Amino acid sequence: MSKYLNLSLLEIHDLLVKGDISPIDLVEEAFENIERNSSLNAFITLDKENAFKRAEELSKKKVSDSLLFGLPIAIKDNICTKNLRTTCASRMLDNFVPVYDAEVIKKIEEAGMIIIGKTNMDEFAMGSTSRTSYYGAPKNPWDLTRIAGGSSGGSAAVIASRIVPFALGSDTGGSIRQPSSYTGIVGMKPTYGRISRYGLVAFASSLDQIGPMTRNVYDNAILLNHLVGYDKKDLTSSNREAEDFTRLIGSDIRGMKIAVPNYFESDVVSSEILEKFEQIKQLLQKAGAIVENIDIAHLEQAVLLYQIIAMGEASSNLARFDGVRYGLSVKGAATADELYEKTRAIGFGDEVKRRIMVGSYILSGENAKTYYTKALKIRAEMKESFNQAFSNYDLIIGPTTTTVAYRLDEDETDPSKTFMDDVLVIPVNMAGLPGINIPMGFNEEKLPIGLHIIGNSFEEAKIYQLASFLEKELHLNLEVGD
Amino acid sequence: METLTKEEVLHVARLARVAITEEEIQKYAITLKKLMDDIHQIQDVACNTDEILVTPVSHTTVLRDDSDTRVVDFSEIQTNLPSSVGKFVEVQVSVDE
Repeated sequence: MSKYLNLSLLEIHDLLVKGDISPIDLVEEAFENIERNSSLNAFITLDKENAFKRAEELSKKKVSDSLLFGLPIAIKDNICTKNLRTTCASRMLDNFVPVYDAEVIKKIEEAGMIIIGKTNMDEFAMGSTSRTSYYGAPKNPWDLTRIAGGSSGGSAAVIASRIVPFALGSDTGGSIRQPSSYTGIVGMKPTYGRISRYGLVAFASSLDQIGPMTRNVYDNAILLNHLVGYDKKDLTSSNREAEDFTRLIGSDIRGMKIAVPNYFESDVVSSEILEKFEQIKQLLQKAGAIVENIDIAHLEQAVLLYQIIAMGEASSNLARFDGVRYGLSVKGAATADELYEKTRAIGFGDEVKRRIMVGSYILSGENAKTYYTKALKIRAEMKESFNQAFSNYDLIIGPTTTTVAYRLDEDETDPSKTFMDDVLVIPVNMAGLPGINIPMGFNEEKLPIGLHIIGNSFEEAKIYQLASFLEKELHLNLEVGD
Repeated sequence: METLTKEEVLHVARLARVAITEEEIQKYAITLKKLMDDIHQIQDVACNTDEILVTPVSHTTVLRDDSDTRVVDFSEIQTNLPSSVGKFVEVQVSVDE
């Protein structure tokens, strides 16, 4: 039974300040929750000993003003944690222990948070179901026979089952927002450059972004407050000044101009999701928002762009796994080439191997011009189309996914299927925009349905404004089993 | 069902530096063909710009100072090395004698 972790952040903080509870109580509860939910397979590595050690240290300190002080957090296993195994859910890195912390890890520790473990995911974040994990797929808390989504499926399952209130995910083509939709939680992919990628194991560097996954909108904004900021170790990180992402939460949305791309309401989306989305549009109009349909260029080609750009970048980034410096290394190879090829054959799973093979092909010789450069041109046109939309509208909305979470045993033989799961969320990565998933309801089987809110670059606060309005209006019961 | 030839599969596997078995060749001949058919479609997409978007950042990106900075000790790096001799990384022979 939940004692404290299901309370609001302000309530928990108040109890800590009064001395009624200590961080040790919160960590104890987190590990009880993990034990009770072990069938979810949400974690790859737990860090119980260090979590209690840190909780004891924090218990001796004065409670800081940070609302995150003393709170446990789960970290996706592609974010480097010093002296804590970081596997990327791959056999290749099964024994890899980083010698440095990712920048986000330093930031959450400065905020007084306590890492409890590393969450399950698709291998090297390649997938939409987390079924490509070397450690087996995490399960959806709403129905254990269904996927939790991917690639941040473990983090999503942790939040949905209320093991802890906070998790970090990463999003290259929807990997925070899509599993958040499937599991009924709030997941934000911030603007590209908002958060340092230093220490995030690279998949597709021009698309990757770390983001917060939480049980509600306010918690999400609070965690984002602590994650952002310039980092000289990531040349793509933005030097924008810090801001309070909660500042518009609770503000009126009357007069807000909201666009709906026609493609987001096309027949690629299931009817049960479109029906729920229609209700949201009506609710917004009733509240005084202006909701209009628009066209955004190349949305229907989002998967195609992703296949070319992400697989191309992945083939380059994953070239570093060669059996020489860290990770798996086969014994007895006669030459360097044999060492590389055999190590990578054994260390990578099918999906990763397939993607780096196609990516290598795309970038080889004349193919780079035929495929990669053409994709970058289409990407530029898509980005310009988003720019035009945001010159007329405050936000863009649509469903996050085309279906609800499907069954874990659903056929995996079609290699294109996994990309189509992310068709509605990939454009945001292409354009580097911020996007959030919030729950907008359930289908008849009580499976969550997610709403996607997209903002202009660096306008996360406006996204949280609309998200918090809808959260309050919908007042959904998001507790599994209730 | 259309597939890649064995030679084509071996070619992309070599590019990716991945050893594959006979059994895998048959599997990848089908799935790689499917993915490559997908990506070939990009040639038919109408596009009216010559601009490319490599990265979505709008600010000027600056590399770190080109200076010698010690971040971690070799002893720490050594903990993840598959093989080392003293303070050296041991690698396989890569040039025929």
